[in-house]
Amino acid sequence: MAGNQNPISAIDMLTSALRSNIIPNQEYLLQGSVIDSSAEVLHNRLRGLCDAAETGPETFHDHEMCFSLKASSPGGTPQQQQSFLLRVRRALDHPEYPWQLRYLGQPELGEKNQPTVLRSCIDIACTPNVVEFLSELGCRIEFEYVLKGYLFRKGRMKVTMSKIFRMGQAKSPDSLEAMTGSYLVELSLLAPSGQDAVADEIKVFAEQLRPLVHLEKIDYRRLQSYS
Amino acid sequence: MQREEKQLDAALEALLQRINDLKTSIRTLLFRLENEYASLSWPSFLDSYAVISGQMNTLLKVMKNDKTPLLRNLIVLPLVLSPDPDEELKQATEGRVVAFSHDITPDMLRTKPDPDVEQRQNQFEQRASQVPPETAQKQINALNKVVNHVLEQITHSREDWENEATVRAAAAQTCVMADTHTLIAAVGLGKNLKTLPIAAPAQPGPGRAQAGPAPGKTTSTIKTTIKAASQVHPYNR
Amino acid sequence: MGVIVLQLFAVPEGKSGPQVIDILTKRVTSLGGVLSGSFMVDCETYTSVASLGATRSVHLLHNSETPASVFALLEAASGNKTVALVADNLFDLLMLKLSNFYQAKKQTKIESRGPRFEAGDFLVKLGSVTMGPTFKGILVEVEYQACSLPAACWDLIREFMQGFLGGCVPSTPPQYIQNRFGDMLGPIDGINQYLEQFNAFRKTTGIR
Repeated sequence: MAGNQNPISAIDMLTSALRSNIIPNQEYLLQGSVIDSSAEVLHNRLRGLCDAAETGPETFHDHEMCFSLKASSPGGTPQQQQSFLLRVRRALDHPEYPWQLRYLGQPELGEKNQPTVLRSCIDIACTPNVVEFLSELGCRIEFEYVLKGYLFRKGRMKVTMSKIFRMGQAKSPDSLEAMTGSYLVELSLLAPSGQDAVADEIKVFAEQLRPLVHLEKIDYRRLQSYS
Repeated sequence: MQREEKQLDAALEALLQRINDLKTSIRTLLFRLENEYASLSWPSFLDSYAVISGQMNTLLKVMKNDKTPLLRNLIVLPLVLSPDPDEELKQATEGRVVAFSHDITPDMLRTKPDPDVEQRQNQFEQRASQVPPETAQKQINALNKVVNHVLEQITHSREDWENEATVRAAAAQTCVMADTHTLIAAVGLGKNLKTLPIAAPAQPGPGRAQAGPAPGKTTSTIKTTIKAASQVHPYNR
Repeated sequence: MGVIVLQLFAVPEGKSGPQVIDILTKRVTSLGGVLSGSFMVDCETYTSVASLGATRSVHLLHNSETPASVFALLEAASGNKTVALVADNLFDLLMLKLSNFYQAKKQTKIESRGPRFEAGDFLVKLGSVTMGPTFKGILVEVEYQACSLPAACWDLIREFMQGFLGGCVPSTPPQYIQNRFGDMLGPIDGINQYLEQFNAFRKTTGIR
């Protein structure tokens, strides 16, 4: 391994990358669902539309845990707590893959003419001791679930069809129960902020999946009020 | 007096503008008819008509405007008539009226409709007055009935078409909005997915209600949960 | 992957940091070392805010030898455990986002940088340790790339190091290596040693 002639510190590289806006830290997202009986049809359609049709889509079987870091203010009321959510995802079918640590910001739905949900997103690959790290950092686990499904790619866009399973009490992979009779379909793209042309790309692709699945902007914070 | 004059001037300006617009659109229509009659389609012809009708509307609106003085009460009176060509007049009318002479004045300043139009109008009025009032009323009622009938038919067909479209969509339903909401709420907020503390009874029910114990309890649960997780995984770097 | 050993080289009286580096450079080149660029290892520390409970520190280290990784060493609240996380470069961005909970202490940013030499299977890095504008000492890193097991190659490394560093190299390995004498070591172990040394540098005023 040859060394650098003049190594720049990593912090400096990061700040210059941030300034020139090349870090893909924004996620453009559309979500929807399709019932199990029509999932096959959607799968075939996506195979036709996306890249790598011959080798077939990738399947994934992941376990995702969501941690939150809360700092209680001296006043102590829960509303004043700033909460910070971090997600850890590991591949159950490939234990040798690195784990993924993800920070997701608040989703912004924007105006009616903004085609996708926009949220800041930082994806970091890390070693498996991240759970220990996070709990020592002060995070507590909020919830977890298992996802099983298919991953398709088209250009920079990523389409996933996932079935969400609740973890059983025994925490073994056998005691899984599906949450609903549908697959969650997500269409997303990671890009540096400000590239709104990609949102139109996503919208065009989403149109091609109608009427099988209606991908739209859904504000999950509003869903909190539904029972 | 001054104010009225000003108002009149302004009104005349507006009227002139509208009339010019109308003239341009009529001219375009005539041009299209003469030159593009082969490629002209009925809808585009109707469009041009719509433009003209709109402009007439605006013209009438300007005339009905409150600011316009009652044009009914004003008359246009020619002061000087001369057969000599007048340069200014020629320019103002784009070469159409060369001289303000005796023969064009009756045409330009007339207020009655064309003679044949006037005749036809008189004919109609005569026929209308000849009809006795009851028959007239009956005819009016019949016309109203027919028009309403046609209107009904149109609204019914429109409703049928709309229903057809929705029925087709409902038959092929491939997604359930409720499921979408559940899934997204679960993935985004952890609805129905909260890890239950091991001390509480094991129920996959409304986890949110049961997962709110005192912080002390939660931290002990976390340590046990985390220990279990790190034991499960062989990679301990 | 290889065995990394750090050695503090005391700066003799009357000499400056760059002079010592020059002397060491001559010695290394006479042993067959070829200059191949420069290196840098830096460390930034973040401490948790009071509202998070017991104070914890996260040390974020970068090594120019592994430019795509960030090493995050977290000292547990109880003080007797350190969790070492290796992550992508974007982890720095995450730490910046966590600024409400973990704040960086700019004055304690410490780094070791200097020339890098290759001598056969050995990699020698002569680092001048600076904390801000102050020079704190000389830290020499030697990596034997051919083997990852200290038990198998400690003697060879010691002999090589004594060749240009002289008597300051002890015959017994540093405590960190001793604790893992039979284990396979990797980049994270080098980083752990750097953290130990950096912490020691931070505690001393003046030059070690």
